[in-house]
Amino acid sequence: MSNNAWLIAALPLGAFALIALGARRSPALSAWLTILAIGLGGALSLQVLREIAAGARIEQSMEWLPLGHGLGLTVGFQVDPLTAIMLVVVTSVSLLVQIYSLGYMHGDNGYSRYYAAMSLFTFSMLGLVLANSLLTMYIFWELVGLCSYLLIGHWHERPEASAAAKKAFIVTRLGDFGFLLGILFLYWHAGTLEFRGLEEAAAAGRIPAAALTVGMLLVFCGAVGKSAQFPLHVWLPDAMEGPTPVSALIHAATMVVAGVYLMARTFPLLEHSATAMMVVAVVGGFTAIFAASMGIVANDIKRVLAYSTVSQLGYMIMAIGLGAMSAGMFHLFNHAFFKALLFLCAGSLIHLMDTNDLSAMGGLRRQRPITFIATTIAALSLAGIFPLSGFWSKDEILAAAASTNPLLFAAALATVFLTATYMFRLIFLAFLGNPRGQTHDHPEPLSMTIPLLVLIVPSVASGLLGTALFGNPFGSFLEGRAVTAEVNLPVAGISTAVALAGILLAWVLYGDGRVEASARLAARFQPVHTLLVNRYYMDHLYNGFVARIVLGFGWLSNRIDLSLIDAFVNGIGSTTISAATSMRRMQSGQLQAYAWAFFAGTVALAVVAALPLLMGTR
Amino acid sequence: MNVAILSPEISLGAAAAVILLAEAFSAGNLSRVAILALATLGIAVSAAFLIPAQLAGVPTSSFSGAFIQNGFTIYFKLLMLMATFLVLLGSGRFLAQAEGRRAELVALVLLTTAALMLLVSSTELITLYISLEMASLSTAFLAAWMKHQERSAEAGLKFFLLNALSSAVLLYGIALLYGITGQTQLNGIARELVGGATPALLLALALLLAGFGFKVSAVPFHMWTPDVYEGAPTPITAYLSVASKAAGFAVIVRVLQTALPGVQTEWVGLIAILAAVTMTVGNIVAMVQTNIKRMLAYSTIAQAGYILVGVAAGTGQGLGAVLFYLAAYTATNLGAFIAIVEIADRTGSERTSDFAGLHARAPWLAFALAISLLSLAGLPPLAGFFAKIYVFWAAIQTGLGWLVLLGVLNSAISLFYYAQVIHHMYMVPAPSPAPGRSLPTLVAGLTVAIAGVFALGIFSGFFMGLAETAARTLTQ
Amino acid sequence: MVGSFGPIVIAIAIATAFGLLPLFLSGLIIPKMPDRVKNAPYECGVETIGPTSIQFHTRYYLYALLFVIFDVEAVFLFPWAVAYRHLGLFALTEVVIFIGLLLVGYVYAWRKGALQWV
Repeated sequence: MSNNAWLIAALPLGAFALIALGARRSPALSAWLTILAIGLGGALSLQVLREIAAGARIEQSMEWLPLGHGLGLTVGFQVDPLTAIMLVVVTSVSLLVQIYSLGYMHGDNGYSRYYAAMSLFTFSMLGLVLANSLLTMYIFWELVGLCSYLLIGHWHERPEASAAAKKAFIVTRLGDFGFLLGILFLYWHAGTLEFRGLEEAAAAGRIPAAALTVGMLLVFCGAVGKSAQFPLHVWLPDAMEGPTPVSALIHAATMVVAGVYLMARTFPLLEHSATAMMVVAVVGGFTAIFAASMGIVANDIKRVLAYSTVSQLGYMIMAIGLGAMSAGMFHLFNHAFFKALLFLCAGSLIHLMDTNDLSAMGGLRRQRPITFIATTIAALSLAGIFPLSGFWSKDEILAAAASTNPLLFAAALATVFLTATYMFRLIFLAFLGNPRGQTHDHPEPLSMTIPLLVLIVPSVASGLLGTALFGNPFGSFLEGRAVTAEVNLPVAGISTAVALAGILLAWVLYGDGRVEASARLAARFQPVHTLLVNRYYMDHLYNGFVARIVLGFGWLSNRIDLSLIDAFVNGIGSTTISAATSMRRMQSGQLQAYAWAFFAGTVALAVVAALPLLMGTR
Repeated sequence: MNVAILSPEISLGAAAAVILLAEAFSAGNLSRVAILALATLGIAVSAAFLIPAQLAGVPTSSFSGAFIQNGFTIYFKLLMLMATFLVLLGSGRFLAQAEGRRAELVALVLLTTAALMLLVSSTELITLYISLEMASLSTAFLAAWMKHQERSAEAGLKFFLLNALSSAVLLYGIALLYGITGQTQLNGIARELVGGATPALLLALALLLAGFGFKVSAVPFHMWTPDVYEGAPTPITAYLSVASKAAGFAVIVRVLQTALPGVQTEWVGLIAILAAVTMTVGNIVAMVQTNIKRMLAYSTIAQAGYILVGVAAGTGQGLGAVLFYLAAYTATNLGAFIAIVEIADRTGSERTSDFAGLHARAPWLAFALAISLLSLAGLPPLAGFFAKIYVFWAAIQTGLGWLVLLGVLNSAISLFYYAQVIHHMYMVPAPSPAPGRSLPTLVAGLTVAIAGVFALGIFSGFFMGLAETAARTLTQ
Repeated sequence: MVGSFGPIVIAIAIATAFGLLPLFLSGLIIPKMPDRVKNAPYECGVETIGPTSIQFHTRYYLYALLFVIFDVEAVFLFPWAVAYRHLGLFALTEVVIFIGLLLVGYVYAWRKGALQWV
């Protein structure tokens, strides 16, 4: 099966093609085609996982742009443990989200369009995961960006949605530009873009150290954009304008982790540059605490989760920067499940209330008990409470930070505290206390409840795969050798205590759904609150940048354009057109004229041919 | 004497004869589908004779070495068979309406293809000349096929007369070569030419290039192209623009590489100049055209210029690039022309401005035309992009940097007029709905062509490998 | 180079001069006294009556073409017939195919009504 692993990606592409070709006329058929394709893909992924676990490694590529002299570009796919894990994560979360969407998107005008885009996205994401070279990866990298754009703007009649879609596209494109430069830079030095070739080149020292650092930092730019790291994090909270299942799949579990995956995939290169490692770790650590602080004050349930996602992505990036690649991947693995669960729970509440506003919710534990339980379990997992899945991976990362960089360790601990606080603030405000808003009186469709129940299982237990209890199968699988996991007891103890303290604080402030506490706190900590609510003025800064600097630059270039370039271009344009017109006049339609032109051409050719002889150079 | 080597050509000729006889004995109403089926059978049998002979296989020759079969000829013949097949499929309503005379048309197309296949295989100047005349004569008839339309009759006559002129010039070049070397066999000529360039040899070279330049419509021997392309029935224009052109390039490449390697420096310079002039004039004049067929005529001139860049590169890699370019160009141009056949048929106009809002009226046609035009302009990941990359790369490596720079500039210019059509189709609102549905055969032909445009782009490495293998057999 | 091409160039020059010189010389010395009869296209014969460009029926051309085709066919057949004994079976087959092909065209033309005088 591993030999044909590309089939896993091809299946959703087939579904997309069928929907585009005609199945779109029947929404139900579109939905089931998507689900069937991804379900099959998921089954194949599990088979691939088994084969990889048994020691298989696959890499296939074909010449795409042969340029001779050993140069050229290839495209292809590879399957190794890293890929196999991602395949399982993507297909399983995608499958559950597609099933959930059956109910959530029911009756939507763009139902078929939604499923078409979801199929295309799943194809692109799987392609990204299977890619065996930076080039192949880049192609799919742009494709997932495109799908994300389409899906954020799914309700394009809403101006916020289309603005958010554009913002996401443009901001990530900034990072992609760096990524592309990095690809060109590495190609220049290594002469290949295949991961294996790059690793060999780096290991053999064929890439100069400085070049490797520059190249990897440029590649990291791509990850910063896609995984919403500081300072390009601004698009992800806005991306919540998309349908909630989209947020769960693309902006929590899969696409946004592409940046983390990219860094994990290029980790063998990154390892050779201490500077690049340091930058990656610091950006990740800073993003973790920075985004968490904004989560504290957000009142939009999905935005809280979005900040949480940014913060957790920062965690993973930091882990990779600290050299704990497998810990970062382990956290990615766990996070995909419990964060998808949290988003689907949020979707369940939004479906019930028709609002994202936490202050309008309250007391929902009675109407949606399953959602309440699921949210609580996922939140505990996210906060890192023993023995839920988040605990194990977070602990590994914290242990790595504790042993290498005290400052980052402190930041990570603070993030743990903030994470616990904002998650339980969310839970208390939404589920406890008395109802504050109107709810629809319809039961939740089964298609939405089942994915929640299914996702509870990995949210609780997926972490056990990386524990010493079971001999750390995750780490051993990823590294391809037996790796033991040790629980760093002091670190685990401290982090659990910090998380519990965060939950306690949330209880003291917001227990029983005291929504008025927000206003009181806002008044008490006026400056800090203003800063946080305004998202550290980052968006203002960007808007100001766009407004002032870009517009100023625009004005300047407009002047230059008008006076210089325009005149020049118009000159070229009119010269070309007049040349064309005069040449067209030669095309008179008269046979004699054509014959003369032919004859003149022949003579001219003969003269040019004889020129060297006439000039006596020969 | 191995006559079986001619089987592919004989199959086509037999198919043409069968079609004519069937038409003669069916009292003039043989159905379109029946004719197409017979033609397809002929093409299939012809291809069946070619396919077992591998691209890299051992070359076989016959008729005292005047006729050869190797990877190079097989590549071109398969390409031309494919093009003929698609043209016939894509001829759409044109064939359906041509009551009573369509059998003639299809038979002539098959005979022309057979002549072009002979041309590709000839390794001796007289054989080469006869095949060329055979193809040209039937081409003139095809161009004048709508005999009651002045434009078509004019196109046929113009082609016939100018072709006679170019043939005369070519024949003069051939005579000079024979006079100098006493040989008509191409490799015999190469054996005799050891002394380097003499005035007579250079004159012969110039005359040969002028004659061949006419066939591939290189500037300044291109004057017939726009008039004939506009006047001829559109399916025939499509056929001329791909099959005849491919054969023309096959001959140029073969004669230059096998007969005249001794004066390579000289012909590289001449071809480079021809390439530069051809692509520049083609692109610039295309910009001011309002009739889409005339625009595409100039576009094909420009494309010939790009291909000449590859010929000028002269290396094995350049040859491979030329072969790949021709395949990409065949798929792309056929896509464009088949779409235009149908669009013009439905809207009754060939003016670019009348393509407004086509995307709402006929989404698949608009999409196919847009893809073809973007491929002609050379945008990734379509076939045209990779074709240009390979050709330009080969030219850079032989030190023709200036030519490549000019080519890139020209590509940028070309985007202007290609995009204009797309702009009309997608951005300008539609004046009225276009009636009618497309014939299934036309849709099939168009789909195959567009699939080819994508496949040649996405799997360009694979197809480039085939082209290089085929090119290698030429110089062996 | 001049060695081999020189004589040809000289021959061309002499031939041109030989043709042009008498015309030029006679043009210099002859008296010019044109009148109506001298300026007429033909100095002798009968004056044409009516317009000279009369339309001929295309059938004439069609018949002429068909005649030429079969004429040329005969031209090809004569040398074969003369050397028939030496050429043997292979040439016979070729000639049969050749005639067969012409026959296809002939049948087609006939069935299409090209031989009918309307």
